[in-house]
Amino acid sequence: MSDYVTYDSLTEGDDFLNPIPAYKVTQEAVDKYLLATNDNTLELQQTGPGNTRIAPPMLAAVYVIEALRTRVGPPGGIHAKQQFKFYRPATIGETLYTSATVIKLYQKKGRNYVDMSTDTKNENGELVTSGMITRIWGKES
Amino acid sequence: MSELQSYANISVGQALPEVIQVVDQHMIDAYADASGDINPLHIDPEFAKTTIFGRTIAHGLLTLAFVSRVLSTWNWQGWAYGGELDIAFLGPVYPGDTVRVCGEVDSIFQRDEGVYARCQLVCYCGEKPVVKGFSVCKIN
Repeated sequence: MSDYVTYDSLTEGDDFLNPIPAYKVTQEAVDKYLLATNDNTLELQQTGPGNTRIAPPMLAAVYVIEALRTRVGPPGGIHAKQQFKFYRPATIGETLYTSATVIKLYQKKGRNYVDMSTDTKNENGELVTSGMITRIWGKES
Repeated sequence: MSELQSYANISVGQALPEVIQVVDQHMIDAYADASGDINPLHIDPEFAKTTIFGRTIAHGLLTLAFVSRVLSTWNWQGWAYGGELDIAFLGPVYPGDTVRVCGEVDSIFQRDEGVYARCQLVCYCGEKPVVKGFSVCKIN
């Protein structure tokens, strides 16, 4: 049995993530991300009301992909397209839940593609980010 | 949806601040560590040799982080609170490449919630576009 999700096991309309995984936004994770991406955005260094700190919008690339990794395809898959809508930045200390649905499965030039939509909400059900990902599935052995 | 040529100090054709970023294997490894995306295509040279790329490539989402830096500098409020991004990854970024992120306002329009700017975005490695798409951000 393979340790990844096979393309043939996907079905359009599937809720890809069940149960929905949790991602806690920590200062450490945000600092690591900012350092790795060389992001010195001033607003991310400041504290807001109630001494809150916010995460960069593109941290979505971490918590969404982290969620999708719970149902990962074979190694070598490629990210082909990405859409995001950022409703607001995540705040440090918040726990996020990303759900994903398989929207479309198709082939192009002999390669398997999957389009997935994602919604990320916090513990109170507030929508933080939504997205659409097109992924070229990795070659299965 | 009514279109405008300019709004406040933003006009159609205006260039966004550019970001130029050298990407090396150290940065790719740091991104893999920060994001948890340890796909061997990015961090394992031996595995990467077996792929169509022949060597490691940067995570596409690392390149998007540079796009986000451009939009954060240009219009933090509009980008972080309601910003939209729609991009395609056109080609790989290899260790040693310099990524240049360019953007330009291509339309300004009114929605029920306010005035928005749509920006064309392209990331280049040399002359080659590696990421292309657009963003939509509120500007009032």
